[in-house]
Amino acid sequence: MDFLFDGFIQAFALLLSGNAETYSAIKVTLMVSSYSLGCSLVIGIPLGFGLGYFTFRGKKSIRTVVDTLMALPTVFIGLLVYAFLTHRGPLGDFGLLFTLPGIAVGQTILALPIVIGLSATAVESMDNKLRLAIMSMGANRRQLFLTSLWEVRHGLLAGSIAAYGRVMTEVGISMMVGGNIKWHTRTITTAIALETNKGQFGMGVALGLVLLIIAFGVNISVSFLRRRY
Amino acid sequence: MAAPIFEINALKHEYAGRTVLEIEHLGIRPASIVGLIGPNGSGKSTLLKMIGLIEKPTKGEIQFNGHKVEPFSEEARFRITLLPQEPFLMKRNVFANVTYGLKLRGGGGSLMKKAHKALAMVGLEGDEFLQRPWYALSGGEAQRVALAARLALKPTVLLLDEPTASVDAGSAQLIKEAALRARQASGTTLVIASHDLQWLFEICDEVLHLFKGKILGKGRETVIFGPWHELSAGQWGKVLPDAQLLRVPAPPNPEAPALIDLLPAVTEPVPETDELNRLKGTVSRLSLEKKTGHVFATVLVGGHPFTLRMATNQKERPHIYPGDTISVHYRIDQVKWV
Repeated sequence: MDFLFDGFIQAFALLLSGNAETYSAIKVTLMVSSYSLGCSLVIGIPLGFGLGYFTFRGKKSIRTVVDTLMALPTVFIGLLVYAFLTHRGPLGDFGLLFTLPGIAVGQTILALPIVIGLSATAVESMDNKLRLAIMSMGANRRQLFLTSLWEVRHGLLAGSIAAYGRVMTEVGISMMVGGNIKWHTRTITTAIALETNKGQFGMGVALGLVLLIIAFGVNISVSFLRRRY
Repeated sequence: MAAPIFEINALKHEYAGRTVLEIEHLGIRPASIVGLIGPNGSGKSTLLKMIGLIEKPTKGEIQFNGHKVEPFSEEARFRITLLPQEPFLMKRNVFANVTYGLKLRGGGGSLMKKAHKALAMVGLEGDEFLQRPWYALSGGEAQRVALAARLALKPTVLLLDEPTASVDAGSAQLIKEAALRARQASGTTLVIASHDLQWLFEICDEVLHLFKGKILGKGRETVIFGPWHELSAGQWGKVLPDAQLLRVPAPPNPEAPALIDLLPAVTEPVPETDELNRLKGTVSRLSLEKKTGHVFATVLVGGHPFTLRMATNQKERPHIYPGDTISVHYRIDQVKWV
């Protein structure tokens, strides 16, 4: 088990020495996960709000589908996105295969059901009296929507964190759609997989630690935001 | 007479296929105080939500100042506000709650100054409360903050849904005073649903009695539930817990609720006849209707509270006091069925 201890030492050495390959993987991971999270929030929050707020025919069925998609295997999404983006695929002309936007498309598909499902849950748990309170103060539809969102901000934040955790730690999509190209599409998780295959456990552990540090930083920031707002 | 500020025509509202409100016509005059009384589930809150433009009626229309309005109507959304029964504040501090509606409206002036003024109207110190988060308030304080948020808007119409039901006596008094001051200061029309009948009869220009979603009358009637028994041919009635007989005309069905309005109190004894039912009861409370000068007595007959109107002329008014046992009368042919 010495390799674990060595890994910790190596992790700090890599980070403190500013190792270019490590920082490239960190940069790619942060960039692509931020793109995909941004897209999934912009699309998913309004859809989740609609799903949680309104009562309509087929709502339960849609909810079941969304909940099921929350457990989509990343390799399956990777396979589908690969099939669509490959030169012979319907979206092949866009040239997105083995690019960061390509990975972001796959990760958005991964995060979207999580954002929709958890936003809908947050909105469903909203106090019924909130709508009355907001409307009785003279809000129009847009103000009602925005104020309601703000009131369930903690639930939405929790959904965003869950989605961010999922996209940052996935391997299947990044590997299949991104191709794990050094300096280009290599993310932390694909680098860990590669280094482990090469027997470089230390490097793998070091990159794993970096992921943990990022997660820790995100959670600290979220806790601060919760206390502040 | 001024044109009504609210006019409701052929309104019907249903929840899950069940009719909860049905009003053929109702007009509310500007700057008046209208009280709504009735048991739980009688439709008071639903009516307030309809005229507060929170929900759209299933059928019928509501006119505000002569314009047909519905939720989010631009003509009305900044002029009508509703205070719900249970205090509800948004997850923000008191300042943000009190100024939320003001921010929606835009306009000039210092929000801080307006928030201080609104809180003062409900007996709260701005310096002490404005920065407090929503969770650091008692139930009574939260309800007063919620009322302050509405008073800050200087609404044309203020709707209060049992505003004092879930607060302590001190907060209740402050809420009552603040609502009346708003009416005095800005000519606000008040519509108040409450179980505090004495308060409503004291301050209201008109009190409407709701039962099962319908307006039954002007609030002085007593609802008596069946079952009714046929005593003899064409004679119906029920025996009250104190063994007195309550006679009524033939009901539409044996369970139908009856609406009984007592005849005004007189000094001379009235004999019981075929048309007139006499009952004995105990006076539990006397109250004054400020607008008309009428004195009303609440008389408990077999456990049912009846309202007895006294003559305005002091000479014709019998001298009765709480605790006295007196006779009350009603005309059997004037009993209405709900």
